[in-house]
Amino acid sequence: MVYITGVQSNNSVNMHSPSFRSKRKSGKNKCENHDTLMYAEKKKHPVTTGIKIQADKLTKAFTEYPKKGFEGSKNANFYQFLTMGMVPYLTGSAMMIGVFNAASKFFDTPAAVNACKLGKKMGIGVIGYGILKTLSKKFIEVPVNMKYGIDVNLPYNKVVYELPEKDNRDNLVKHEYHKVFESVDFPRWDLLYNHESFGPERNGFFNRVAKKLGMDEDLQHSDQKTKPKIKEKVIQTKLFSTLSSYLWAATGVGIAMQKPWETLVVNPKQRLSDYKNYRKLAAAAKEKGQQVAKYNNFVKDFGKRFAASCKEFVNGSSKKNNIAGRILLGSAIGMTLLGNFVTLFDFNKDKGSKTQASISLIDDSKEKVVC
Amino acid sequence: MTNLLNTYIANQPINKPATREHTPAFTFDSKGKIKPMPDKGRLLPSRIFGSPIEYVKDLKKDVVNIGRAAKGEANDHELGRINDLAMKLGSLGLAAYLFVKNPLKLNKAMEFTGFATFFASMALWPKLAIQAPLKARTGVDIHQKYIDSQGRKKMLHQDPQYDLTDLYSREDLDKMGKKLGVSENIPDRDNFIKQRAKKTAVQGNTLWMMTAGIASPVMSALACNRLEKPIGKAIEKFDMVSSEKAINSGNYQGLFSGLRRNLSERSLNKFLTQNADKAVDNNLIKQLAAKLGHGVNSASLQSAIAEELAAMKNNIKIDENFVRQALNGKIPESAFTSLSQQQRTALNSAMESGSLNGIADVISHASGTGKRAQDKLGKEITKLLSEAKKKLETPKLSDIEGKVRTLSSGIADFSAGKKVLDKYITARVGDKSGTYIANQWNRVGESLMKSLKLSMKDLKAVSQGNIDIITEKLANLAANDSVYDKTVKELMGLIGDYEGKTGSAFTSTVKQKSKEICTEGSKKFSSKGFSKLAQKLISPENKSTVDNIINVNTAERVSGAQSSFYRLLQSLDLFKRIKDGSLEQQLASVLQESGKNADKTTINRLIKTCKDMMLTATTTDYVEKLKSAGFNLSEKEYKSVMKVLFDSGSDTAIEKSLSKTMGSEQAKKMLSGFKAYKEEFMNKVANWRNGMTPELSRRTVNGVTNGANAVERNNLAGKPIKALIQDVAKQTYNSKKWLMIFGGIMAGLTAITITAGLFLGRKGATEKQVEEESRANG
Repeated sequence: MVYITGVQSNNSVNMHSPSFRSKRKSGKNKCENHDTLMYAEKKKHPVTTGIKIQADKLTKAFTEYPKKGFEGSKNANFYQFLTMGMVPYLTGSAMMIGVFNAASKFFDTPAAVNACKLGKKMGIGVIGYGILKTLSKKFIEVPVNMKYGIDVNLPYNKVVYELPEKDNRDNLVKHEYHKVFESVDFPRWDLLYNHESFGPERNGFFNRVAKKLGMDEDLQHSDQKTKPKIKEKVIQTKLFSTLSSYLWAATGVGIAMQKPWETLVVNPKQRLSDYKNYRKLAAAAKEKGQQVAKYNNFVKDFGKRFAASCKEFVNGSSKKNNIAGRILLGSAIGMTLLGNFVTLFDFNKDKGSKTQASISLIDDSKEKVVC
Repeated sequence: MTNLLNTYIANQPINKPATREHTPAFTFDSKGKIKPMPDKGRLLPSRIFGSPIEYVKDLKKDVVNIGRAAKGEANDHELGRINDLAMKLGSLGLAAYLFVKNPLKLNKAMEFTGFATFFASMALWPKLAIQAPLKARTGVDIHQKYIDSQGRKKMLHQDPQYDLTDLYSREDLDKMGKKLGVSENIPDRDNFIKQRAKKTAVQGNTLWMMTAGIASPVMSALACNRLEKPIGKAIEKFDMVSSEKAINSGNYQGLFSGLRRNLSERSLNKFLTQNADKAVDNNLIKQLAAKLGHGVNSASLQSAIAEELAAMKNNIKIDENFVRQALNGKIPESAFTSLSQQQRTALNSAMESGSLNGIADVISHASGTGKRAQDKLGKEITKLLSEAKKKLETPKLSDIEGKVRTLSSGIADFSAGKKVLDKYITARVGDKSGTYIANQWNRVGESLMKSLKLSMKDLKAVSQGNIDIITEKLANLAANDSVYDKTVKELMGLIGDYEGKTGSAFTSTVKQKSKEICTEGSKKFSSKGFSKLAQKLISPENKSTVDNIINVNTAERVSGAQSSFYRLLQSLDLFKRIKDGSLEQQLASVLQESGKNADKTTINRLIKTCKDMMLTATTTDYVEKLKSAGFNLSEKEYKSVMKVLFDSGSDTAIEKSLSKTMGSEQAKKMLSGFKAYKEEFMNKVANWRNGMTPELSRRTVNGVTNGANAVERNNLAGKPIKALIQDVAKQTYNSKKWLMIFGGIMAGLTAITITAGLFLGRKGATEKQVEEESRANG
């Protein structure tokens, strides 16, 4: 078993074998045996880095990983299984929209109109669920990152060395996009040491966090001091971002269930013909010297309806409704605020002293052997 | 490594009792050396449906874990479980919101049904379509669970790189080996089987991920579609039973004593506090009357409430007490005590007549000396009295708060009874979906549709108004005796049930209870001094409150639905008579009696017109239809044709059919309502030629009322059968189309998944090679 800090190789391999070198564009082999923290990349291009990672995952979730999975590849792993989880999310969302919309074109006019009203709301609901669920996590993650410098989504590029298989004996180096703190049991601390983005010191990252945590600036073992606290904050952030995200997602669907969406025109053909009619009308009016109201393009129309729906969601069409909408929105906001409160305030200042506990638990004067 | 280990140990919670969840992974041996804890992991028994007790236990753990996570102490496994729990809680919150938002009970119930079926589909799809078939064929349970040494339940094959196949027992391996067809004599057979199991699990999990997104929403939607009717029926039954129980309990106030009453009292309190200092003017009375009369929902009672409030404002008695308070010590007490008998009489008389000047005159004379002083005092007294009277006449709301509260309490008591009665009526004949009348209407339509056996093509044509197909299908139905008898029996069962639940028993219960509620309410209002309201509730001119709690629209709805059901029976009767030739004979004799041409062509033309009239005519166009078909009939002929068409005597095809399936006595009993309806129809709608024109509507001759007004005639004619079938066909077509699309998707996906499952767990080239080599080596 080869064990290199930070690289969990599954198999016994020869690291110098050409199989573990991916080819550069020039055709020359490039040795890739280190996982790479993507801190600088994310900091420089936060949006494109995220898109790049998601695009890579999405492509593989629909292509490479299912192929491997159906073959029962011995190189299949948990990351691939989790990444394939995007497939049911996306197909499920599309199907959910389809269930409420696909059949309506076969209905007679009044039934189709009613079905379309509900269908539109459900479609917006599915999209609202996804957007608010993703976005709302940032309401907690960003403040934590700002206050402590702990980015729970800090990505790294993991190099995976696969075993040769029947149809693949050469291209054995694969990349996976993981997060340093995706496991709270085993965060990838090793990637945070000696990284140029955090300064020249070995403990640059931990020094920075220690400073933000209000610990002494010249700590000798800032890593040992801060790790428990970082872990604590990561767990709390994950907990509250998870809890609040589903409440926000439910709020998103709730907003989508309001009346203003019922008359939204989604069909591009119809919108185009509406626009052409508007142009004609506007031109005719101009000739007569009359003024016409500005055209409601899709974005503008969508925005207006969104605002009206939010208003209806909060104010409700009846008193009971009003209370229900406010409770749902209030619980989402409340959970986010609670999450910020718990994560941003340090209630366990002496938690770092846990490292001291090791002194009493393990007697340094005695020999330690791992059985 | 040691460094990592130290960190790990350092992070273990100390000074806390060790729980199973947090037992350290390491211990020390007798020499003080670190060694791993003994392995306690084991497989859990495979089940398609989990145990509810286990579920509750796990839920409890998850809730505890949220608390631990909030302190920053959870692990990956616990955070993963919290994520699942949060997803369910979020969805539950959404279902609760939509539950409140939707006004109809069925829709409310479907929100939670959707929530339950979605999560059930997510859990059941992989189990039923992938796990179970694969286990049956290969012996590998891809969702095999195990419990680790820390007491955490996990999936055995979640991470293929984390090999836990050592947990398989010998029996498990042998069973899998046999099912997977692994040779008995290959070297390292156990490991070979484990690798095959892992491979199968990876394949199965991939199939799960690829199919779950399509399967879960569709499966959930199909389940909701199937559950909607039984849930609707259960709600209908619950409403019927609970409203009956409530109306018979008599304890109406008790039923509305909780939150609802508190809420309305809270609302009144708010109003009284906010407007305490405002004068009780007409505007305020209007607002207050609307608030107090909100639960009563009756315009005449609300106006009576306003009158009561106005009376509170005006009811000022000018007596000595009023005068003393008005003058408020500005006049010495002696002015009252030293009055002569004559002055006392004059004062009483002035108070009785309400003359403020008179009162001032008496008192000023009694207390003042000198004319000028007396005049001055008199003016001052008049001013004081006038101000006091004005103040009392337009009191502040706070001045009459006590009376308002008493009135409010009385109204709440009365409206509780009215609400119970409204609930009783609405559950049966309310104008909204989910009520008995609405559901029964659907049931009758569906029963008919089932008997007509329309294909999708027919359904589409009928939903677009194609009458030929309806005619053809009804003729087919009449031609098949067994189907016809079954249809008539089923429809009669539904119509009989309708008669029972909305008929005279229902009406008399409503009348009796409304009388009780109004009489009781009247007594209570009277005892509290609200005579106007008391009178309003029982006065003869206010019959609208007592008798017409079933309002006109409701009564029309009840009779309209009933007539439509009977008209359906008439149509079935007509088509049967066409089939057995009796209609032809009857019409021929009518034409022959009037000396008209009764050849085959004419009779067929008349039969066609009769069919058309039965299926499409409304009350105003029977004559027109006959005319446009070329039949210019006299009044007598018209009456005869209508009689043949709508009231063919007691020996009807329907009665014959029903007698076959239920016996003649029972049939007669069941058809008594139908018979009465036919008589009424002939009397009020089809009894004379121009009866359909409004100007010749209802007339009474010798005390007998013939004909009816337009509304009555419409209600009696019911919905034309074509329109009824067309409506039901539309619904059925939409529903079937949706079901075809998504049922097809589900069936296709299931077939593909199960077929794909047959290719999973098979021997690959490597496995075959290993087996061949071992075979070659003997």
